[in-house]
Amino acid sequence: MDKDTTEPSPAQTRQARLDEDYARRRDQALAMGGAEKLARRKAAGVLDARERVDYLCDAGSFLESGLFSTSANPADRERSPADGKIAGFGRIQGRDAAIVANDFTVMGASSGATNGRKIGHMKRVATQRGMPLVFLGESSGARMPDHMGSRGMGTLLGNDGAQYQRLREIPWASATLGLSYGSSSWYSVMSDFHVMRKGAVLAVSSSLLASLAIREEVDPQELGGWRLHAETTGFADLVVDTDEEALDAIKRFLDYLPSHHNEAPPTRAVPAGSGRGMPNILECLPASRTQVYDVRKIIRTVVDEDSFFELKARFGKVGVTGLARLGGKTIGVIANNPLVKGGALDVDACEKITSFLVLCDSFNIPLIFLVDTPGFVIGTEAERRRAPGKIMNFMNALSLVTVPKLSVVLRKSYGQAYLNMGGGRNSDEMAAWPTAEISFMDPQFAVKVVHGLEPSDEGFEARLAEMNRGNEVWDIASIHAVQSVIRPQDTRDYLLRMLEVHELRLTRGVGQHLMRAWPTSF
Amino acid sequence: MMDLKAEVTGSVWKILATPGQTLEAGEVVMILESMKMEIPVVAEHGGELVEVCVTETDAVAEGQVLARIKL
Repeated sequence: MDKDTTEPSPAQTRQARLDEDYARRRDQALAMGGAEKLARRKAAGVLDARERVDYLCDAGSFLESGLFSTSANPADRERSPADGKIAGFGRIQGRDAAIVANDFTVMGASSGATNGRKIGHMKRVATQRGMPLVFLGESSGARMPDHMGSRGMGTLLGNDGAQYQRLREIPWASATLGLSYGSSSWYSVMSDFHVMRKGAVLAVSSSLLASLAIREEVDPQELGGWRLHAETTGFADLVVDTDEEALDAIKRFLDYLPSHHNEAPPTRAVPAGSGRGMPNILECLPASRTQVYDVRKIIRTVVDEDSFFELKARFGKVGVTGLARLGGKTIGVIANNPLVKGGALDVDACEKITSFLVLCDSFNIPLIFLVDTPGFVIGTEAERRRAPGKIMNFMNALSLVTVPKLSVVLRKSYGQAYLNMGGGRNSDEMAAWPTAEISFMDPQFAVKVVHGLEPSDEGFEARLAEMNRGNEVWDIASIHAVQSVIRPQDTRDYLLRMLEVHELRLTRGVGQHLMRAWPTSF
Repeated sequence: MMDLKAEVTGSVWKILATPGQTLEAGEVVMILESMKMEIPVVAEHGGELVEVCVTETDAVAEGQVLARIKL
């Protein structure tokens, strides 16, 4: 007798039961904090955690780790899908990355035992296998009551001594996309790149707790809004309007970076039109030595078309820092911006440049300095803000850089700032435009200090003319302390060629990372 | 009302606008001198210049209010 082929085999029956159970559990996990909470976010125009992961990763590439994880507290098991933090591995523009995305709809994405284990796993795998780590921050902080009492503390905190250790083996990129307190904030400020969406808040703890602690009403935006972190703390490298823009910014940042510290950054095709503004670049520089201009026009003209990605644009604005490409290769650009404070470097600019030096050196990114500074800001306010310490942190960082350093003096380079901006052997090659002027102090001051003459005194103008001649680039070039005097229009070609000359051939583009354990903020 | 503040310590070199004048966003109200550089003080937003709080050659400190604009 023929066997009935429509009857499922015992194995098929078992498979169907398993599939059904699996699908039920999966759907439960994917339901996150429930339809109502998700609908409220959508109405507010904010992506949920899974939408964020989908937007960030190449289609279909996300492999989740811990989909079926829940709170370790049995009472919360049914209401804690993925324990409020979604983790896994995805490809971002073709390259693998580990991702942690906070799901605020599940218990406020608060930190607990299980999701702490998930974060630890992502960090461990990303570091050991050499891929970037991305944090999408939005968390109410430590979960209550789990953390309460000495037993709670002993169970949940301090069991991983390396939890907040950074040795910069892999790039970390983060976004603050909502209310972010506790460890979500810690990971953001420890990252190499941190983007904030307007409306988000990054702080140690919530405004409610802050109000209880100091007995006054605290406005969340004042406590940790984008303006504070973009302009005052410098913790935000970039501020954007939407979740999508924030995730695009992370993609863009990572595209400049290697996957880990033991490889050179990726190379991209040179966009058409790169360098087209070079014949007219001198138009960016005023004829008068005392007039200001925006150095970012010069940067954008020199580097590959549309490749300049400025970091911390609203903080320490006297110093411009940003990633870019030259001939398709990633470079870090550090420039003085005379548009702000005449280019005189202040404490915020020192901190900003120091952190950028650490970033570039840790990830094998050659550095280009464009110099036009009358010196450091001096005076009582600068001293109160610890200017000597900040200037020397900057200087020490510069001396520990092991990636190629090329400096070009556009106009002014005076005093100690001459050294901080790569003067002498503080860069591998020092070039200058014929418009450069280099000395210890501005000639107007020097005539007073050296000759004791005021502008109204007889002989002042003659001495000033003498000083001005002595500050021209030709004298320093004659003793090979400036190696090249270049015409402004040749700057891009000079840098392209010099980057090739200074390629780290012996180590395949990899530096020594002497600042890998430096602070994550200054 | 919006205060225009000195971004740097220095002195007032030239005042280019007068009270009552309507300012466009980006217009230079005065020029400071600091570190032998000319530092323009720019109206971030357009409005009426209500008051100029300094005179030429005055020494100014970082953060000092230089002028007030009614938005």
